[in-house]
Parts: sequence; structure tokens; C-alpha cells
Amino acid sequence: MKASTRSTLLAVAMAAAFAAGSAQAADPIRIGGIYLMSGSAASYGEFAKQGATLAIDEINAQGGVLGRQLSIQIEDSQGKAATAIQVARKMVYQDNVDLMMGLDSSGVAQGLVPVLPELGKPFMITHAATPDVTGKLCNKYTFRLSVNVNQNMMGAADIAAGTGAVKWTTIGPDYAFGHQSWEFFSKYLKEKKPDAVLMEDQLAFPRFGAEDFTPFINSVMESKPDGILISLWGGDLVNFVRQANDRGFFKQGFKVLMSVGAATEVLTALGDQMPADIWLGTRYWYGSWDNPINTKFVEAYKKAWNQPPSYNAEGAYMAVYSFKDAIEKAGAVEPDKIIAALAGLTVPAPTGDLTFRAGDHQALIGPTWGLTGAMNEADKIRSLTQLHNFEGASVTPPVDPECKL
Amino acid sequence: MAGLGLALLNSLDIGLLLFIIAVGLNIIFGVLNVINFAHGALYMLGAYMSFALMAGLGLPFWATLLMAPLVVAGVAILIDRSMLRFVYQREVADSLLLTFALLLILNESVRLIWGTGIHVIDPPVPLRGAIDLPGGLSYPRYSVFVLIVGLCTLLGLWLLFNRTRLGKIMRAAALDREMAQVLCINTRLVITGAFAFGAWLAALGGAVAAPMRAIDPGMGDKIIIESFIVVVIGGLGSFPGALLGAIVLGLIHGLGGRYLPDANLVLPYIGMALVLLFKPHGLMGARKSA
Amino acid sequence: MTLPLRLFFLAAALVLLYALPSLAPFFYLFIATQILILGLFAASFNLVFGYTGMLSFGHAAFFGMGAYATAMLLQSLHWPLLACLLVSFAAGLILALVIGFFCVRLDEVYFAMLTLAFGMMVFGVAHQWRSVTNGSDGISGFSVGSLGLGLDFTLGNPAVYYRVVLVIVVLASLALYRICNSSFGLILRAIRQNPERVAFCGLNIRLYRLAAFTIAGGFAGLAGGLMAPFLRIASPELAHWSTSAEPVLMTILGGSGYFLGPFLGAGVFVLLETWITSLTQSWMLFLGIILALMVMFFRRGLLGTVLDALQARRRRRLP
Repeated sequence: MKASTRSTLLAVAMAAAFAAGSAQAADPIRIGGIYLMSGSAASYGEFAKQGATLAIDEINAQGGVLGRQLSIQIEDSQGKAATAIQVARKMVYQDNVDLMMGLDSSGVAQGLVPVLPELGKPFMITHAATPDVTGKLCNKYTFRLSVNVNQNMMGAADIAAGTGAVKWTTIGPDYAFGHQSWEFFSKYLKEKKPDAVLMEDQLAFPRFGAEDFTPFINSVMESKPDGILISLWGGDLVNFVRQANDRGFFKQGFKVLMSVGAATEVLTALGDQMPADIWLGTRYWYGSWDNPINTKFVEAYKKAWNQPPSYNAEGAYMAVYSFKDAIEKAGAVEPDKIIAALAGLTVPAPTGDLTFRAGDHQALIGPTWGLTGAMNEADKIRSLTQLHNFEGASVTPPVDPECKL
Repeated sequence: MAGLGLALLNSLDIGLLLFIIAVGLNIIFGVLNVINFAHGALYMLGAYMSFALMAGLGLPFWATLLMAPLVVAGVAILIDRSMLRFVYQREVADSLLLTFALLLILNESVRLIWGTGIHVIDPPVPLRGAIDLPGGLSYPRYSVFVLIVGLCTLLGLWLLFNRTRLGKIMRAAALDREMAQVLCINTRLVITGAFAFGAWLAALGGAVAAPMRAIDPGMGDKIIIESFIVVVIGGLGSFPGALLGAIVLGLIHGLGGRYLPDANLVLPYIGMALVLLFKPHGLMGARKSA
Repeated sequence: MTLPLRLFFLAAALVLLYALPSLAPFFYLFIATQILILGLFAASFNLVFGYTGMLSFGHAAFFGMGAYATAMLLQSLHWPLLACLLVSFAAGLILALVIGFFCVRLDEVYFAMLTLAFGMMVFGVAHQWRSVTNGSDGISGFSVGSLGLGLDFTLGNPAVYYRVVLVIVVLASLALYRICNSSFGLILRAIRQNPERVAFCGLNIRLYRLAAFTIAGGFAGLAGGLMAPFLRIASPELAHWSTSAEPVLMTILGGSGYFLGPFLGAGVFVLLETWITSLTQSWMLFLGIILALMVMFFRRGLLGTVLDALQARRRRRLP
């Protein structure tokens, strides 16, 4: 036969051999992650990716799950629900993911969660805090392992009542998270401290992603509250603190609570510009848990990424481990079996045991609050003193009656 | 009363910063007849250059203030020679489209080089903190610096356009390019120079703004809309118009943000629309001859 | 190409499109639906840009308006989809009439900037008016019920929704085509080429521009109404200037001088985006480079460049 025909046949034979060879290797279990990878809060997605990758590397090194390796692809939600929905569809229908996790924005969660039943894969929320996704929007595919607004605000109200401040106002981002934070904070504060005064007509809700907070800083200072709940996060919080520092905001004697201020994303960006004597809340603080799992996790994370783990990183890390435990309990990688296994499951975590309540798929976990103290020179961020780890069961309200799983 | 005073002061420093950026847009439009959609991206590039020079090379603030805009001006010359020269003679829509493409390219390039997260740089030590004003107000020192830079730029530009030969040449090229060519003015040099100068101004704005704002890949998009509004309110191609427009927009942000926070997002556009309805060519714009 | 041959190809294309659910992988149904909706959006924009010569940077205001109209009706009143779409069309039409009234008095650059301003105003209202539009979180959590007219389709099924969108977009495009190729359309093209001459002929060019702008707004509203159930959410971004830029890009890509140009542009844009985003995060960079090249060297778009080349070859072949 001709030389060209021979070489073509050879090429085809080699290709076939390769194809057959690769088909022998077991198909990985695919996880799809949707996080904020761009914009003013892009570091949150970056850190989540780091946490998830650490978990996957650890699990794969020990043989994977049910003999199969884990793989992950993380894509950008751009902070828009529409984008997240498109990405989720692509991951399920084109990339054939088995499991999904993610969501840095409550707004995105509110849009994506109602679409999840069509996609039919379990979704673990590791950041978005709106109570709705395990409340009126709940469905059997949605799970959340992170602290939601309800739980965080219970803790916040406790701290706030303890400060003795009477008149309270808020500065929060103008979307679900900001408004709901105030809604629940004010409700719980009134329960714990009936004489608290809520300055309802002097609240400030700057647009998420606003660059200039000075008008809000000025108007809050003028209204002379005793205490302020700040639910800004990400780049907004960084901007806010720097601009507030310039205007002497933190020297006015207010009691300041930043509901998600203890995010290493924010603390690293601010360094010593984050003032001392501010109450910061977080879903997870690397320095407040003294157990073998946390020690191992923090050490491994610092070794891999040269910085202490943020709460977003820990959340993503635990999402992977939770899925692993659920799959092993179910014995299969089928959505319905995983969901049945995950509901009510208890998973060991750096924050103690993590239990997913069967009634609404929300994990019983409490926030950690602490007062900023001296600079931690080793980690280059503010340290937290007077740490309160709120216990999950005590800060989680009962299952929302609107959620019927 | 204190609140009003503070709001007015805020308006002033917002306004002057916008002026620096918008006047560059005006110069580019005046001389090149190009609406530079990428102007915000050049501002952003100035801020990132500042960051790169300060955080990366450890240069002091004053040096970066000098060098960052020059680097961006250099990039602008490259852009002009390689891209913009194709659309000078065409209708304005084409330049809008091309500079929009440029905007996408610059935005993504910044993301690729510096990542998608935010960066912060601090003002130099003498400019940190606040000064105490009468009435219990405190005003950041850095904002005073911005005011000074804005006023110096204003003065410098006025002198340039009205008292120097270079300024006259630029105005001539803006008014009538063919005539300028006939008069042996090297219009090609003027055009490239004008674009570079406009970019320099935008980047200066970015370098000045960098210690005040978070440096992130979205900052260019926000500022371009603001610059458009300033230029439209003031009048396309008008130098005093750019100042007026910038002050007006500064007031809208400062006062509107303070007293009407809910409407703050919409107010600038309402302002712009109102001006265009009654004075389509801006408060100080003149009808350009065809 | 002769008319019967052109019609044959068109019919064949339509049959292929209708049969797509059986031919292509499931995921491509979403892509195809998106292309159809955005194609209609871009074609409505081209009525203003390619035919009438006005560059609008606020066209997404009508798109967003249509999306919100349908989303709100589906969420609170559960109307059949066709009724919602009619309302979306009307909403886009009316909004375009109002905005156009202020804009068409101005030329070129000022027109572009004023449409940009109004577009962002609609965005701002959608973003801030939390009590009505739910602010930045948008209107979501609605389900698509019935189609209307007694037709019983499970619109939740992507294949079914795709076919419904196909039929509606084809019908709407046909209507748009008739408008573009009528004497009205000819006048619009004349206005683009030489407004003063048309004015000297005694025609009120401002009225014609307003009519074109209004009609375009209606079709953009219709496209928005189709988009809301597809995305499952109506959010303020649908009215943002970055959404307004999409039909501009698609029209330039496909070719503003031809009716099908925007559709081709929409197809290329969405396919490129899907393909490139699977390879890299820097999709916008490639888009920018492609757009820059198109504007500098291939100003007549893909369709224009290809057809020009074919015509040039035919001319060279002639003796």
C-alpha cells in the first residue's frame, strides 16, 4: 500500500489504542463550583478555590472516594444570578458534574436555588447567607454548611446587648444580605435588650460595589448612634474602613460590630488599618478552635498557600469533605442517594461536629465573634481577642414553616 | 449646617478629580474627533501603574505620581499608532466602537496581569489622617491634596491653551485640521500628542485616586460613565465646560449622596438628560462646524 | 441567488433549526435559545443603527423593560406566556416612544450619549426601587405556566421552550423584515445616507426616526420577555449599558448592512463566548481583539465581507 495510507492507518491505530487506554482509567467524580472570581470580592472565590483544592488533594492522595478521584472546576458567577444559572446549566449538561457547591452572594443564591430542582444535582452552599434558601426557597437539592444571617445575627445581637449601647443603626450593602442582616439583628436585639432603640429612618444602604462611602459615613456620624451594625463585606468593607479611618469614624466612641468583618480577605487587605476594639464576626476563625482537625487543617492550608485560612476557604474545604462522607455513606454517586445520606448527617469539621438538619438542610453552626486586638505579626493581620464561638444549636431558629422538605 | 459643609467639601474633591479625567476626554474629542470609550480604562491603568511602581518596585509616592502617567501616555502612543489611525477619517460611531474594543482589551489585560482581586496602596505618610475643621468636622488630608492637584491642573491647562503656542496649535488642529495642515503644522504629531496628553491626564487622575479608592479591574467602567456625564453636561470639546460639568456632577454626588441616598444612582443621569434637553450641546458647548 | 433558491435554503434552515432538539446535545438547546433571543434583540437594534443610522447605546433599556414585565406578570398574576409577551412588546414600545421623543432631536454623538444616559436611568430605577423590582436581587422564583391560546406545552422543558422561542422569533423577524423592506424602510435608509436631502423632500425626518426607534423598542421588549423565563430571573443588569453593547457588537460582527447580519452576529458571538470561556477566563480579551479587527478592517461585518468577496469574484469572472 502507499506510504501515506500506511502512515494514516498507523495514526488511526495509535489513536484507538490511546482512547481504549484512557477509557480504562476510572471516571473522576466531578464537582462544579460557582464563586465570585472577579470584581471587588474576587479574593473570596480565590480562597474558596484554595480550600476546595486542598481538600481534594488530601482525599485523592488517600485513594479518592469509592475508588474514584475527585476533580473540580470553579467558574465565576460575576455576582449575577443570571450568569450563575447559565454556568450551572453548562456544568450539569455539558460538563456532567455530579455535585455542585458555591455561591458568594445572597442575591445570586436567591436566583439560582429555585432552578436547582431542574438541574437535579446536590448543591452545597458555603457562603451565601440569606435565610431564604433554607427557608421559603428550600428544596431537597440545596444544602448549606455555612452560617446564615439568622445564626450570625443571633450571635451579633448577643454581643450587641453585651456592649450596653442603646441606639443602633446599620450600614449594609443594598441587596438581600444587607437588608436581611438588619431585619434579623433588630428583631433579636429587641428580644435580648428590650430597651434598645432602632434608628429605622437613619439606616444606610450603599450600593454593593460602591466606591465612595463618605456620604454614608458622614450621615451616620451625624445621627450619633451608640452602636452600629456593619454588614458590608469584601472590597466594600476595605474601602469603607479606609475612608472611615480618614474621617475619624472609629474615634467617635461608637460600638461597632462588623458582621462578617473577620474575613482574612478583608483583614489582609487592611493590615493595621483595621482598627482595634471593633467586634468582628465570621463563620469560621482559624484561631478560635482547638481540636486536631482544625490544627491539621490550618497547618496544611498555611503550608500550601502561605496564609491563614479564611472562612470561605474552610467552607469550601468542608463542602468537599461533606460530599465525601455522604457518598461513602450512600455507597453511590447518585443524586437522590447522596441527598438522603446528607440529610441529618454529622461530619467532623474544624469547627466541631457539623450536622445538616434534615428539616431544612441547614447546618447547625454558630458564628464566631471577637474583638480586634494587637497585630498578629506572623500572619500580618489583626488578632481577635475575647473570642466567642457560638454554639450552633443555640443560635439556629427552628425550621422555617415555609420550608417543607 | 456642618453636614452641608462636609457634603460640599466632598463634592469639591470628587468634582476636581472628575475634572482631571474628563478634560482629557474633551481634548481627545476636540483634536481627534474620537470619543474615547477606553478613557476609564486609561484611568484604571494609571492607578495600576501606581500600584505596580509603589508595591512592586518600592518607589515613593511622589515618583509614581510622576512616572505612572508617563508610562500610560507611552501606551497611548502605541495604541494611537497601531489602532486609532484607522478610524480618524471615519464617522464617530467607528471610533466609539474601536475604543470600546480597546476598553475590553485593557480591562482583561489588567485582570491577566494583576489578578481579579482588589489592591490597596496607602497615601504617603504626610498626607495621611485628617485635619480638624471648625464645627467639629474632619476632612482627610489626602482630599486636600486632591484639591490642590486639581487646581494646579486647571491652572496649568488654562495657561497651556491660552498662553502657549502649543496650546494654540492644538486648538487650531481641533477647529480645522486641513487648514492646520496647510499651515505646515504637523497634524499627525498633534493628533498623537493630543491622544497621549489626554491619556496622561486620565492616568494622572488614576494615580491620584489610587490611594483613595480600592484598585480593582472594575474601576475603569465606573469612571467612564461619570466622565461621559461630565463632558455632556459641560459641553463636548469645551474646557471650562469640563470644569463646570465636573463641579455639577461632584455636587450631585456629594449632596445627593448625603441627602437623597436612594436616588443617588439615578440622579446623575437625570441631570445629564435635563441638560441635554434644554442645551443639547452642553452648558458651555458650541456647535461644532461639520 | 435567485428567489426560489433563497427561499429553499431558508426553509431548509428553518427545518433544521426546528429539528435541533433531536440532532444536537442537550446543552446546545440553551445556546440555541440564547442565540435566537439575542438575534431578535440585535435585529431590533439594527433597525435603528444599520437602517436609520443612529448609534444607540441604551437599547437594553427596552430589553430589560420587557424582561421585567414578563417576569412580574408571571410571578404575581401567572398569565399565559403569550399574554405576557404582548405586554412586554407594548412596554418596550411605550418606553421607546418616551425615550425616543427626547433623543431623536439630537445627532450622532449626543444621541449615543443620551440613549446611554436613559438606559442607565432605567438600570438605576430597576436597581433602586426595591419595593417594586426587588432591587439588585431581581425578580426570580417564577415558573412558566401555560403558553396561552389553549395550547398545552410544558414550557419548563428546554426543548419545548426552544421551539416556542424559534416560532416566535421567526414570526417577529418576518414582521421586522417586512418593515425594513417597505417604503418606510427605504426612507429610513435614505435618512441614514443623507438626512438633509430627505428633509428637503419634505419629510419630517424626526418623526421617521422616532417611529423606527419606537418599533425597535417594541421588538427589543419582546426579546426581553422571551429572555426572562429562559434565564429564570429578571435583574437590573439586563438594562445596563454593558447589555446594550451586546447587540452593537453582534451587529458589527455580522454586518449592519444586511437583515440577517445581526442574527449571524448573535450566533457567532454566543458560540465564540461558549467555546472560548471553556478554554480561558479571558473571553473579553478575545472579544475586544475581534471587535477591534472587525472595526478596523472588516467594517461590513462577516456577512458583508463574505458577500463583498463573492460579488468581487463574480465581477472578475465577467468578460
